[in-house]
Amino acid sequence: MPTYDLGYCGWSGDVRSAYGRWAVIAEMGIRLAWRSTWLRRLLLVAWLPAVYCGIFLFLFENAAKSGATQIILGQVGGAFRSIPEFAAVREAVETGGLETARHEFWALLLWLFFRHPQGVLMVILVGLVSPNLISQDLRTKAHLIYFSRPISTWEYVLGKATVLFVYLSLITVLPALSLYLLGVVLSPDLGVIRHTWDLPLRILAASVVLIIPTTSLALCYSSLTRETRYAGFAWFATFILGWVAFMALTARDFAAQGIDGLATASGRWTCVSIYHTLGRVQNWVFGLHHVPEQTTTAALALAIMTVLSIGILLRRVTSPLRV
Amino acid sequence: MNESNAPHLIELHNVSKFFGAFQALADVSLTVPPSITGLLGPNGAGKSTLIKVMLGLVAHSSGTGHILGFPLGTAFREIRGRVGYMPEDDCYIAGLSGVEMVRSVARLSGLPSVEALRRAHEILDFCGTEQERYRPVETYSTGMRQKLKFAQAIVHDPPLLILDEPTSGLDPRERQIMLARIRTLAEKHGKTVLISTHILPDVRATCDHVVIMANGQMRLSERLDVLNRPESPSYFVRVMGSSTAFVERIRGEGHAVVIEPDGGVTVRGLDENSCGTIWRWAEESNVGIRLMRPAVNSLEQIFVDVVRGARHADV
Repeated sequence: MPTYDLGYCGWSGDVRSAYGRWAVIAEMGIRLAWRSTWLRRLLLVAWLPAVYCGIFLFLFENAAKSGATQIILGQVGGAFRSIPEFAAVREAVETGGLETARHEFWALLLWLFFRHPQGVLMVILVGLVSPNLISQDLRTKAHLIYFSRPISTWEYVLGKATVLFVYLSLITVLPALSLYLLGVVLSPDLGVIRHTWDLPLRILAASVVLIIPTTSLALCYSSLTRETRYAGFAWFATFILGWVAFMALTARDFAAQGIDGLATASGRWTCVSIYHTLGRVQNWVFGLHHVPEQTTTAALALAIMTVLSIGILLRRVTSPLRV
Repeated sequence: MNESNAPHLIELHNVSKFFGAFQALADVSLTVPPSITGLLGPNGAGKSTLIKVMLGLVAHSSGTGHILGFPLGTAFREIRGRVGYMPEDDCYIAGLSGVEMVRSVARLSGLPSVEALRRAHEILDFCGTEQERYRPVETYSTGMRQKLKFAQAIVHDPPLLILDEPTSGLDPRERQIMLARIRTLAEKHGKTVLISTHILPDVRATCDHVVIMANGQMRLSERLDVLNRPESPSYFVRVMGSSTAFVERIRGEGHAVVIEPDGGVTVRGLDENSCGTIWRWAEESNVGIRLMRPAVNSLEQIFVDVVRGARHADV
């Protein structure tokens, strides 16, 4: 073997399994996305709500130890007044024991954590990362490079989706599990583990509910155009317009029927907004008060959206090769 | 059949491909021996579709075949893992530097991470890519992107290379170097190369075998030296000054003479031992000979004839 040779040399090493190549695509996507300063800032900010929610868990647990749960709920009630599910927590505290109250309160906090700060951050994060994932490959014809290798369409899509899975996990699963651990550590009563053991599993389930439909939709948008800005615009427009439409329709029913009609209106128009549809299903995942018919409709809407998005995505990814 | 005892690395039998009602490939039968083969054809002849069928990028409608001994259409992982494909299109993975892109492609072909980086540098050295390998590929010129595409095609050391317009966009010097690299890979490292190109001088300079397609059909498949050989032994002569007297002298001997568009003279009916005779005729005609060589057929003319359908008996 020469010490130095600029000529061509053969290669005869061991080739890795053909079925893990999607991980290479995922790694490339993660590295490229990580170069965005805004993304790194966003990931940092995503952990702050966990600290904020941790304070509430600390207050609740200390109040529970001193038997002042009612008082502390009365004091923090202002912050949760507009949340219908909070009434169920207060009722549980009044009628049930500490176990029920604790579970309800923790589940409510985790649901709120997913619903508000992380939900909004999810929209921004996916809007930053997803447009580049496939539309850029279509523009630069990189699919010819990918698909001339031992890679199937499914593996390509899985690799791209994993980029979003990883970043969404960094703002949902990891902070939520950290919040749970923080709550356990800050609680003076180790019985909290016995009362809330199912919550980490619910966190994982809620993350799946959040990540899979949004990833499918975002990649679908990215595959529909060669211009990343159009994919980004479509993503944000879907959430913002859905939100506005939901609020407008709910407000109209509220004006017509008053406060009694609010819950019905909210359930009726949930599927107009992906954000609210996700919240409705996550509500069920965390075992909070929910209307089964509305939850079923929301889950069905998410499932249909996911299946349609994946179908369009697979067709669009292979379409340049069919020419 | 495995690739070690396969007589031909590419074997296709009656392969057809329909896009809806349009037939892109019509009963294409083809064998590619271990050498450099030029795949020629006008635009829309079906060359790119044929390449995509061979790589499993599009499914063929009918027919059978083997690539490197693996069945066509069902063993795409095995085939793509052993084929180096250089697309004609300007394609790259945005955001990566040159060396990152070649390394990533090597990893997609199964090379371990560190080895892929080492191999990427090794191949970029071979392709003459200097420090620009650390620049983002978006900033590359057309010629640099051609070299990058070539590098990603050979980084995993495939036994079969399919190169689509490999010299497109290269300046004359880089074009010669690229062709020399291809010949090196074929002659010194045993690669089988299939070159799809419109540039006939590249084919004449590089290829051992020529395949011509038109309208989705295989029109001709033959060794280049056979195609080059005229129907009767001939000499090509270029003289200094006017060739009129020289031509008249040869015609006086009863030989057919063709005056080529570049002013050269092709003399038919002379074998390889006739050099002395030609020198004598030149002396008697009082002209100096600038160039003399055995005549070869014009590949351009063969191409035009085959595409027009005038010549397809060799298939």
